[in-house]
Amino acid sequence: MNRAGMVKVLVCTGAIVLAIAAPLVLSSTYWTSVFTSIVINALLVASLRTILTIGEFSLGHVGFMCLGAYTSALLTMKAGLPFGVTLPLAGLLAGLVAFALGYPFMRVKGIYFAILTLVTSESIRLLAFNWRSLTGGIDGLIGFPGAGVLSIPGLGQLDFDGFTEYYYLTLAVVCASLFILYRLEKSKLGFTWLAIREADKMAGAVGVNVLRYKVIAFSIASFFAGIGGGLFAHFERALGPHATASFGVMTTIYLLIYMVVGGKARFVGPIMGAVVLSLVYEFARPVEEYQPMIIGVIAIMTVMIIPEGLIGIPEKVKRWRPKLLN
Amino acid sequence: MGYLEIRKLTRFFGGLAAVMELDMDVGQRQLFGLIGPNGAGKSTVLNMIGGILRPNRGQIIFDGAEVTKLPPHLKAQRGIARVFQENLLFSSFTVLENVQVGYHLQTRIDLSSIFLETRSNRIQEKELEQKAMDILEFVGLAQYSNELAINLPHGRQRLLALAIALAAQPQLLLLDEPVTGMAAEEVETMLSMIRALREQKGITCIIIEHNLKAVMGLCDRIAVLNFGRKIAEGPPEEIVENPAVMEAYLGKEEDVT
Repeated sequence: MNRAGMVKVLVCTGAIVLAIAAPLVLSSTYWTSVFTSIVINALLVASLRTILTIGEFSLGHVGFMCLGAYTSALLTMKAGLPFGVTLPLAGLLAGLVAFALGYPFMRVKGIYFAILTLVTSESIRLLAFNWRSLTGGIDGLIGFPGAGVLSIPGLGQLDFDGFTEYYYLTLAVVCASLFILYRLEKSKLGFTWLAIREADKMAGAVGVNVLRYKVIAFSIASFFAGIGGGLFAHFERALGPHATASFGVMTTIYLLIYMVVGGKARFVGPIMGAVVLSLVYEFARPVEEYQPMIIGVIAIMTVMIIPEGLIGIPEKVKRWRPKLLN
Repeated sequence: MGYLEIRKLTRFFGGLAAVMELDMDVGQRQLFGLIGPNGAGKSTVLNMIGGILRPNRGQIIFDGAEVTKLPPHLKAQRGIARVFQENLLFSSFTVLENVQVGYHLQTRIDLSSIFLETRSNRIQEKELEQKAMDILEFVGLAQYSNELAINLPHGRQRLLALAIALAAQPQLLLLDEPVTGMAAEEVETMLSMIRALREQKGITCIIIEHNLKAVMGLCDRIAVLNFGRKIAEGPPEEIVENPAVMEAYLGKEEDVT
């Protein structure tokens, strides 16, 4: 393995060890729940980046998260299915909806695609808001079960209802999902996605079914947004479709900010952005009314000083160090 | 009966007839030139053959099968590849990766290739890399295989665009201004390469080009378009002497010089 590969493996292992140790070291329910939402954000933002690999950006990622959240919550509540079944179904429904919408949507590009996704996510939210018999409307859904007892192959029956247990479950699901997304991006499939981003006309001329590959990327991204939504639902144990709540446009905007601040050029960038900014957001809780402003200032500073995002820092340091020493 | 038959091909842009009732036959292994003044509809014809544009009327028959309305990727599957007028490359990829995109149709993308690094996957990878290198060798870019496509000078970018199209194993190559903007010696290289493609691989070419000297020297047969209509067709010797062509096209050039 070369040096870059070693660094990757070390950073990865380090991050996972840190994530596993954090709740044990801090042993505070509050921080454990903060970490849970950070881990969910990491999955949402990494899957949003998958859409970026085909050169499009979505303003409606949260809509698919919303779909996943309600799907999983309703299936546990009304059909009594266990979380182990409802979570994949949440992703599947979000992915299928994206697949169906992808064919018309992916015929347009850039801002037009962004607007279509934005309208979709707001429609999904308003559907949840207005379909009172199913979703409880403005009162939302409350009192649906948590993850409960799941049988894990090799580990037997485990109860994931507790905060810490649910955190580990989330961490495991997200790590597996991130691994899949990473492998996809590094595969021939990801290579084709990037080729489409670079020159879709040329890709089409040598036999790439551009529309199909774009729809696949959109569906996969939305599948994992749905999984993120499912994880979110059973973490919160309550869902409400208010505009300002989790499923509003602001959530997608935050995801985009995480992506830009972390650095969208590499897989790890958006995840780093999500972790760092979510922590900043938490630490700024005492001055709650200024939270969005603080995040905004960080976003602007990043774009102006290190446009590559946080992942660009090592490169910058390498270039600045000789200058400072002289 | 030609290898590529075009029958009454018509395309409107709004009220303007960009191409009007065009009939054209291209024989197998022919180097077919398509010339005409700016806006004559040459690129529109290539776009319709390549599948980027759908004709409003008419038929395109390739190798005995109707392909009129197929989208670009299905045309590519049948052996029609396109080299665009602009330098349309996968610019942030290396030269080698650019050519590898061209091998898309021969690349297997399945779950095992995504999640497992099996021996057969690695072998396939190596094979494709070797094939891509062979093509780079052919166009003379092998030594630049690890450079970013965007850093190549114009002439080499044109060669790379050709290499990408060749990777798709075309039977019919659509070349949109292959030598425009090239230095004299680069023009020679490109022309001899197109000839070699015909000799060695039996590839048929349709060539749009403003460099008339190059077209006349290269092509077996030339069609001249003006205002979307074909005004002449024949071997280069005839075309140069055709009065209608002189008036529409060559005459104008003489005025300028």
